[in-house]
Amino acid sequence: MTEEPRSAEPRSPAAAVQLMNVGKTFDGVRVLRNLDFSVARGSVHALLGGNGSGKSTTLKILAGVYAADRGGTIAVHGRLHATDSYTASTARRSGLRFVHQDLGLVPDLTVSENFALEGGYPRLAGPAVSWRRLHRSTRQHLDRAHVDVDPRSLVRDLRPSDRTLVAIARALRDSDGGSHMTLVLDEPTASLPRHEAEILLEAIRGCQARGQTIVYVGHRLSEVLSIADRISVLRDGVLVADSPAADLDEAGIVTLMAGQTPATRGGEARRTAVGETVLKVDRLTAGPVRDVSLHVRQGEIVGVAGLLGSGRSTLLRAIFGQAGVEGGGIQVGGVPVAHRSAAAAMRCGIALVPEDRGADAAFPDLPLWENISATVIGRYWAGWRMARTTERRDSARLMRTFDVRAASPDVPFATLSGGNQQKAVLARWLRLDPRLLLLDEPTQGVDAMARADLHAAIREHVAKGNAALVVSSDFEELEALCHRVVVIRDGSCVAELAGAELTEAAVAGLTQIDRSKGPLT
Amino acid sequence: MTGTSVDTDVAPERLPAPPGERRRGSSRALSLSGIAERYGLLLLLVAMTLVFASLPASGEAFRSTANIQAVLASQAVGLTVALALLFPMAAGSFDFSVGAVTATSSVVAAASVSHFGLPLPLALVLATASGALVGSVLGILVARYAMNPFIATLGMATLLGGAVFAYTNGLQISKDIPATLTDLGSLSWFGVPLIVLAAALIAVVVWFVMSHTPLGRHLFAVGSNASAARLVGLDVARVRFLSFALSGLVSGVAGVLLLARQGAATSDNGMNMLFPALTAVFLSTIVIDVGRPSVLGTVIGVLFVAVSISGLTLVGAPAWVSQVFNGAALLVAVGVAGISRARRGAGSAGLART
Repeated sequence: MTEEPRSAEPRSPAAAVQLMNVGKTFDGVRVLRNLDFSVARGSVHALLGGNGSGKSTTLKILAGVYAADRGGTIAVHGRLHATDSYTASTARRSGLRFVHQDLGLVPDLTVSENFALEGGYPRLAGPAVSWRRLHRSTRQHLDRAHVDVDPRSLVRDLRPSDRTLVAIARALRDSDGGSHMTLVLDEPTASLPRHEAEILLEAIRGCQARGQTIVYVGHRLSEVLSIADRISVLRDGVLVADSPAADLDEAGIVTLMAGQTPATRGGEARRTAVGETVLKVDRLTAGPVRDVSLHVRQGEIVGVAGLLGSGRSTLLRAIFGQAGVEGGGIQVGGVPVAHRSAAAAMRCGIALVPEDRGADAAFPDLPLWENISATVIGRYWAGWRMARTTERRDSARLMRTFDVRAASPDVPFATLSGGNQQKAVLARWLRLDPRLLLLDEPTQGVDAMARADLHAAIREHVAKGNAALVVSSDFEELEALCHRVVVIRDGSCVAELAGAELTEAAVAGLTQIDRSKGPLT
Repeated sequence: MTGTSVDTDVAPERLPAPPGERRRGSSRALSLSGIAERYGLLLLLVAMTLVFASLPASGEAFRSTANIQAVLASQAVGLTVALALLFPMAAGSFDFSVGAVTATSSVVAAASVSHFGLPLPLALVLATASGALVGSVLGILVARYAMNPFIATLGMATLLGGAVFAYTNGLQISKDIPATLTDLGSLSWFGVPLIVLAAALIAVVVWFVMSHTPLGRHLFAVGSNASAARLVGLDVARVRFLSFALSGLVSGVAGVLLLARQGAATSDNGMNMLFPALTAVFLSTIVIDVGRPSVLGTVIGVLFVAVSISGLTLVGAPAWVSQVFNGAALLVAVGVAGISRARRGAGSAGLART
């Protein structure tokens, strides 16, 4: 947006939200350190950062979901709170309103009923609901937020941008024009097609014009630049930039988020020699996957980029025998395979680290050591009993190899942090020495340090002459980790990037072209 | 990034300690609360025993050899039924048919010798096999046809109760039950009732299968997270099938013990054996290996209920106390298991997502 950035003197009383010396430590790892920034009243302040940057942690601290480390101060609308006394209700009382990506709307209820979910139903008499008053008050709230929808319509019938606007209007329903409220929008355009996103951004600009303070979190840099007055960039838990949007451009922000120029990192990762073909997928059709062909050679890490629903996870599951193959073929080590079970895939030397750790990888109540040996239980059958001592010792050794931090191998898996859980899951698979490693979002929900460890372990395994196929919605990760990236859109391969072409921005552009009918500008 | 909420948060005291602090972390297992959590029920069992053994009203009778033998012998069948229930429970399924299967196989054994004049060994094999057969049918329904185990086993239990009633016409089968069998239910060996030895032997076998075979580990893996179990290469359907088949097999053996103990097969539908078994299995999840059902825990659970009820009866408590105690113990066991699971953060624990 070209509007002149408001002069946000960092400690000015005009700040709507101000963080001073806010930090957060998980599991001895500082995921956020000495954060200092302020959001000027009436401005749109964008908060940017890649996976593992601490952006999400910052939002959760603001929302009072996480308590920040002792010693910091959070000021909201002029009232100071020590970090250890700041809770979710403090956040709400001081006027912070959050609209998350999933909006929190019930599609099968009307707009009015969705308002009533939070605000309660006005009563006619006793328990009887006064629908007339409910619709009237909803109408007023919608009007105030300049949202033109009928309170009686079902949320599912609204266009996507209107749903978001309804959620915003609901969040702001007890405001009197926004002067004492700050709206936090967490990736509001992430699931919207481009023209819908445009409509939403226009509406957000309208909010701001009426004096609403907005903290905006987004991934699409062009949108962020078009709407924000000021931009703060986080990387590895540190604020690396905090400047007027006018002083920044897309390339500059990417560099700030990545920390170094992408070409050097990619080049370093891409130097490994490659050998024979380990996996060959030929015109594979399975569920949403249509006619996908790709191959992965020894010593090679190939990325699969695509948006949610593009078929990227189904592709991995099909290779692992977990999804019905409707057409085409899969060859592993030159031999056609058609396994129908994970066990059969494992016998071919394939391993899969699934996307949803909680649902598909964790045995939450079982001890860590049993989780690490879940893939090899049978190996410890000593003919007449389980060799539990050996098994536990081997697990403990793998914990050291993969730097899984836990008080002991006997603690329940669920007590570990996300990063340590993921390392344990990777250890479980790498101990089989698979020649083909399938990784679905390998570092999702993992802190920056664990992420580096996981990447190192994957690289080391592949460097021994194995291969890896990585699905990630974090394109920065693909750029950093992969030798080549195949882009999938609507179930089909649309491009392959390698060498200098392989950049986060290029991948992002290719995955989204059809939504925008042209590259993002 | 998603708007995930509080459930990903981890209380600081549960976070694994950094390497330098590991020693302190591992000593947690020996802390007072750890001992209370792991051995609470065992200590309570010991305390109950001591109290009833020393109370003037019950002490003398409670301490008598006859009472100890009676308490133990009366629990042999109950323990075996609870052991049968362990397999499906470990694999994450309820099995409400164990009592009914036990009753059915005792009728099968009695009818084989009494009505069909079959030799005793064959009758016992038939009885056990009938239990295994019913378990296998349930296993197929649950594993292959994805029936809800809750409903499938409840339906099977009702069906078996009706079938037994139809066959026996509501009369018990007591004619010609061989003394060889009833001796097992009444005689002792060096003061230990034979039936208790039989139940103990079954307990050891079940313990071995659960703790020292790959199958046992597979059961617990499927019970913990079936989807993850499938993705590490386990045949989840096979494991589920086996859990019910083994449950039926052990219930079949329990039926034989029931016949030996009672000397007759009744037309009872066996549902009254189900809830003590459930109680014992749930109690087992709050002792020793907290959070998972175990054989040792089940033995402790059965003894705890038996000792308590026997003592309460001896101090003059009315007959309804046993039912109330069983129900209360089941509720407390389920409640405590839930609380301790929540405290240990099972379910989800992750770092901040960014």
